[in-house]
Amino acid sequence: MTPKERIMAVLNHQKPDHMPCFGANSTVTYDQMEKMQAFWPDGHEKGEVMAKQALAAYTVLGFDAVRVPFCQTFEAEALGCKIKSGKEKGIPGIDHPPPYKLDDTPEFPKDFLSRGRIPELLKAVKILKKELGDEVPVVAGIIGPFTIAGALLETTTLLRATFKKPEKMRPFLEVAEKAGSELAKALIDAGADIISCEDMTASPDLIAPSTYRDYEMEYQTRQFEKISVPKILHICGNVDPIVEYMGKTGAEILSLEPKASAKLAREKCGPDVILMGGVDTATTLFMKDEDTVKKACEEQIAQGIQILAPGCAVAPGTPLGNLLAMVEVAKRH
Amino acid sequence: MKLLKDFSNIFRRYDLALEKTGEAREISKDPILQKIAKYVVDGDDENIIPAIKEALKTKTPLEIINDALIAGMNEVSRLWDEGVYFLPQVILSSDAMNAGIAECEKAMGKSMERKAKVVTHTAEGDIHDIGQVIVNALLNANGFEVINLGADVPVEKVVAACKEHKPVMVTGTALMTTTMTAFPKIAHMLKQAGLEIPFVCGGGAVSEEFVTSYELGIWGKEASQAPGMAEDALAGESWQSMRAKWNG
Repeated sequence: MTPKERIMAVLNHQKPDHMPCFGANSTVTYDQMEKMQAFWPDGHEKGEVMAKQALAAYTVLGFDAVRVPFCQTFEAEALGCKIKSGKEKGIPGIDHPPPYKLDDTPEFPKDFLSRGRIPELLKAVKILKKELGDEVPVVAGIIGPFTIAGALLETTTLLRATFKKPEKMRPFLEVAEKAGSELAKALIDAGADIISCEDMTASPDLIAPSTYRDYEMEYQTRQFEKISVPKILHICGNVDPIVEYMGKTGAEILSLEPKASAKLAREKCGPDVILMGGVDTATTLFMKDEDTVKKACEEQIAQGIQILAPGCAVAPGTPLGNLLAMVEVAKRH
Repeated sequence: MKLLKDFSNIFRRYDLALEKTGEAREISKDPILQKIAKYVVDGDDENIIPAIKEALKTKTPLEIINDALIAGMNEVSRLWDEGVYFLPQVILSSDAMNAGIAECEKAMGKSMERKAKVVTHTAEGDIHDIGQVIVNALLNANGFEVINLGADVPVEKVVAACKEHKPVMVTGTALMTTTMTAFPKIAHMLKQAGLEIPFVCGGGAVSEEFVTSYELGIWGKEASQAPGMAEDALAGESWQSMRAKWNG
């Protein structure tokens, strides 16, 4: 099977030749940058370099898909947030002050898709599609409405609003949903096969589960209705209290950190949803050795994981051997 | 047949599947102080001000701070520990407590006396300061003066703040594995400057193994440990004995 056939088999609830392994989040590391001779910050800013770095997931790691981008700031930047470069070693972040206050009405710019670094991201997807053709899927990332809204307002302001003035969040969630959806459509037009939505701020580590159910879920569902290709929903941390709702958003695949229970996700979401996940990216993948990584993968597979993946964005200092160990485990299943 | 007159216990919405239910306990027998404490627990930073103004007619500012504001925040810590409260509620309660303390300090004509200083920061390159926000709120609630350096703080600035303020403890928060490498640098520079201050590090990617690999480092698993650790540091415990107690 080609990597694409392998992933399609899982999505169609058929048996693949072996378990696929790829990232819902960034999988770029310094080792891969060296091998590809493509570095940061260019990999965050220039389409050609971004594509080259992403390609390493397939050519260096042997993952079943490649993934762009490597940060969470594209929509926010295009909506007016200030960006702080991660320079050579880090990822770009959102800088203070935020563009809006809670009483403001946010705007969705007409030229959204040509703002900031979005044209470079689209360029990267086009290059990857051309390189990989129909064999290896291109996963393209968007950011969930709640997380973008947090960038527009500053996360703590949004968190206060969840209890004090929740209705005031709606205009921001609307604009944020539209941003992700428009970007997703453009990414699909450019050649993306799978859309991966990261929604860090919607984690129960930050907001109450009822806020997810009563607000974010509506926008997430609306967004996923507009996306024609398979969707991955990734929310960081222990999502046990909201996993049932994540399963109702229309995402075909849920990406879980090992802090969350895959077993519970299966119970709550039923047989149709595909579960993706595997290794804790900080405490295991970054810090430990290959044997520990393999053991952690096996444990998660036993819990019901169907696509092996780093649990979250891979730390760029992660040893190459630990990522290769994941592929080895996937091939045994 | 016993007739039920009070329906409040029947129709209360218990969101069992979603959130643990838990009631705030009574904080003070005194109705005036209880009312203020309740505003802290509810995170109401508006109504708390008139309530404090009223209370100041019969209570001293210190009574209000200790027995209503801080006591209320302690109750919030408990609800957070037990998983009843989520982060937004802790932030709102901390806002209400701080608004209340400012009002009492106005009445005192001076700042409230604090136990000791603690310097807190989020690592250079890291703008994820949510963990630090909680640490600040809890330290504050427990009577410590927080020297809040904010997020994305250069190594040198942390060391300079420690030299200036002579805190009993310094904390560092990092979400990303790329940024936590600043911690050993800070620890090294503090040592060189002769400042053996317990340096509590925690957050997202920060593991016990990493923090205990450098001198001064004590791994903070949860933000809620910060006040207990600060108490130990205030009592004069060394970083070695704190590490032995809290880690491993």
